[in-house]
Amino acid sequence: MDKIKSGTISPRRNGSADPLGANSEIGRKLKQYYDELVSDEVPDRFAQLLSQLEIADPARKKDRS
Amino acid sequence: MSASPVFKTDLLGAIPSLRAFAVSLSQNSDKADDLVQETLVKAWDKHASFQPGTNLKAWLFTILRNEFYSQMRKRGREVQDSDGIMTARLAVHPSQHGMLDLKDFRGALEQLPEDQREAIILIGASGFSYEEAAEICNCAVGTIKSRVSRARNRLQEILKISGEAEFGPDAISSQVMGSNAA
Repeated sequence: MDKIKSGTISPRRNGSADPLGANSEIGRKLKQYYDELVSDEVPDRFAQLLSQLEIADPARKKDRS
Repeated sequence: MSASPVFKTDLLGAIPSLRAFAVSLSQNSDKADDLVQETLVKAWDKHASFQPGTNLKAWLFTILRNEFYSQMRKRGREVQDSDGIMTARLAVHPSQHGMLDLKDFRGALEQLPEDQREAIILIGASGFSYEEAAEICNCAVGTIKSRVSRARNRLQEILKISGEAEFGPDAISSQVMGSNAA
């Protein structure tokens, strides 16, 4: 574990091994930032791409299933 | 062997996470979507090398990450340059009452080196274990731990939430630790 200089950087150290846990501001913001990205609407192009890949899949043409 | 419909469904389900990771890495939503597209094509081609029952998300993140770094090498660190411009525009100031604004946080995150940013995202946001993150980044668990710790310290420095004992986690820890009670 890294040494934390007291007075400079003092994240939550009280018994928690998780420096990015729910009580850390950085941890909360990180999740908020990421959750916002995850909930972003997915453009159709990705579903279309997968359908194209599926159709183009050479193994599929061999009529096994 | 054909990629099964299940595989396709699983890929579809992973897209939101892949996009979030791609944006976090590249800090650019157009590049991020190109990365995701490339990742899906590669994943489809390599689907035979995926072992069912293992972590598909980790496998996909690994592909995406490799793609990101290989594109970055090809572009001669152009990604990094545009980061610099963005960073200059987004000077970070602590908001009033210490309530950290998401925009400030984004700006701070952008200033981290890629290796630290990806580490703190994988651990702090994507929900991977240190072991999984180490595998995705092809490095030792200890390396991930130190990157996360450096990223966290750096973010706290940039956002100036360190040393301010009036609010936030510092207030809690200083009470508990009985120190730093300014």
